[in-house]
Amino acid sequence: MRTILILIKKEFLQVFRNPLLLSILVVAPLVEFMIFPFCADYEIKVLNIAFIDNDRSQISKDIIHSFNSSEIFVSKGLLDNKEEADEMMKHDQIDLLIEIPINFENNLYNNENTQIAVTANAINSVKAGIGTGYVQEIIGGYMQDFAAMHTPANMQAAISSANETAAQQKQGQRQAAAVPSAPIRTTNAAKVNISNIYWYNEQMNYKNLIVPGILVILVTLIGCYVTALNLVREKEIGTIEQVNVTPIRKWQFLLGKMIPFWLLGMAEFGAGLIIMKFIFGISVQGSLPLLLGITAIYLFVMLGLGFFISSVSENQLQSMFIVLFLFIVFVLLSGVFTPTEGMPGWAHKINYLNPMSFYIEVIKKIILKGSAFESVMTETIVLSVMAVIINTGAVVSYREASK
Amino acid sequence: MSVSAISIKGVNKTYEGKIEALKDINLDVEEGEVFGLVGPDGAGKSTLFNILTTLLLPDSGQIKVFLMDAVRDYKSIRQIIGYLPGTFSLYPDLSVQENLDFFAVMYKSDIEENMSLIEPIWKQISPFKDRKAGKLSGGMKQKLALCCALIHRPSILFLDEPTTGVDPVSRKEFWDILKSIRQQNITVVVSTPYMDEATRCDRIALIQDGRIIGINPPQTFINNFKGKLYTFKSENIFSLLKVMEQCPLNCNYYPYGEHCHVAFYEDMQEALPKFEAFLQEHHQTYETITPIDPSVEDCFIEIVTHSN
Repeated sequence: MRTILILIKKEFLQVFRNPLLLSILVVAPLVEFMIFPFCADYEIKVLNIAFIDNDRSQISKDIIHSFNSSEIFVSKGLLDNKEEADEMMKHDQIDLLIEIPINFENNLYNNENTQIAVTANAINSVKAGIGTGYVQEIIGGYMQDFAAMHTPANMQAAISSANETAAQQKQGQRQAAAVPSAPIRTTNAAKVNISNIYWYNEQMNYKNLIVPGILVILVTLIGCYVTALNLVREKEIGTIEQVNVTPIRKWQFLLGKMIPFWLLGMAEFGAGLIIMKFIFGISVQGSLPLLLGITAIYLFVMLGLGFFISSVSENQLQSMFIVLFLFIVFVLLSGVFTPTEGMPGWAHKINYLNPMSFYIEVIKKIILKGSAFESVMTETIVLSVMAVIINTGAVVSYREASK
Repeated sequence: MSVSAISIKGVNKTYEGKIEALKDINLDVEEGEVFGLVGPDGAGKSTLFNILTTLLLPDSGQIKVFLMDAVRDYKSIRQIIGYLPGTFSLYPDLSVQENLDFFAVMYKSDIEENMSLIEPIWKQISPFKDRKAGKLSGGMKQKLALCCALIHRPSILFLDEPTTGVDPVSRKEFWDILKSIRQQNITVVVSTPYMDEATRCDRIALIQDGRIIGINPPQTFINNFKGKLYTFKSENIFSLLKVMEQCPLNCNYYPYGEHCHVAFYEDMQEALPKFEAFLQEHHQTYETITPIDPSVEDCFIEIVTHSN
């Protein structure tokens, strides 16, 4: 017991004397919390839009006018021809182009299919997707009103959008293929009104997703990165040899390393929760002890992984690269910032090995949804099993390496 | 008969299946002696040290430290040994006092209890006890490491090249400390690449290419020197080295610091004039050739050349 206590004391002394490590511990969470949630944002606030009106009718004017009432769209005016529009898109002056064809109004009144072409700059595919979505919504809304006023007319308006790839844009082969898709049956649409309610995140606030995600990254960084560097450093400066000749047992040494970093990780997590509450106004919906308990288990997984990495690497550089590699894979697969639903099957299978993906589930469920233990039981069991396996592996490989 | 502190029988160690670091090592270290392991860099000294301190497993052979098996009883061995590794390996970001406290607990030892043992060394570094170990001078670091290695009053102290890179004054001081440690009935096993330090040991083992080529008290090595050793100064050692390849006499020539040493295995009455004639014939300039007593290094060179 005295042995483990002095090991812990030694570790804390070293941490608090290492200005670099200390600044990582203090500055990293602050920077991540203060910058990320405001920057990593999928909300599109401004879309520059231009129009080509080949019809010059009342309806086409009305449609164009309807975009003015939106706060998102900033009109860059009516253009005369496609070439001008191409030029503007090439220079990033417009994000979207709407082309209304000749005889648009006539066709509508005559009950014939007609199309509006929407061209989006898809270099930023998210922006293009959301932009065309908004356009459909606005034009669809207008068509609903129009249909309500002209009930006899059974009209279809099809809006199609052609998202351009970056490659096409480079070659200047910009073509807005006006393929009719998802025609809106205005008569039906007039009757059915869809209203959306977003549960657990009512304002669809992206921060609610990203802030818990940062919490996960923080805990992972402290747990895995710092410990992976720590043990391998003792190898580099040779202190591990000096410790190995003492009668101290391997598990005592590892425990003496784990407890300090486990405590640091928990402290960081606590600080993260406080920042989350008082700066972003996200409070934990579920049980706090449950959240802390599962975080404690997750930290042990990460600590074990960190020690495993440092016992198989020769120097800090090697372990840094391994952690960096794993970290990127973990983050991209876990669903911290991107939804996992779109991933192919094999990626889902890999995710069964990804502790971060289980932990982010727990975090989202407990913090945002207020889930009870029953709904996070699977994740808890998986993380516990992972903790046991990885720590056993760490002890074994550490023994192998030093024997 | 007294118990051997260390008994090594037929130890082999190969790295990565091909580099033979140790070949059939056999040696005994008596309790209470200062035993030196002397050999050039890469001879296998550190490998043998790592095996003796239970940090490395031998491929074959038997090692007993006070009758305990180094492989099976490594835990008990670690209780009774102190180890000073070749490179400074204390925590540079902990203070002198913190390092000592830390290792005292690691060895489950009490500083007060064993202060008498380390007192003479500790007195020299205690004025800096709040300084970070990494900020100490080389000699001070070495003394602190020695304190940490002695804090549990070990029965055997292993020192892996403790004087490498240390200035001559500190080296002498360090050897005096080792003598005083020995008086406390602690067996000292020390390795060094410096042959001149070997005379300070009770017995030495000469090690070369993973093989032990001789174990004796230093004086015995010197007494057993077979050749007749002469020294002289030459202006161009390099050209002399080439010329000596053609020397018809049975002798062994090698540079020794700024001098040249020649060990003759001939009747000197005839050989010396012949040798001088040979040098003059090859236009070599030299100063007076004088006889000299061999050092351990000369013995080492003689044994190595003769075994080839």
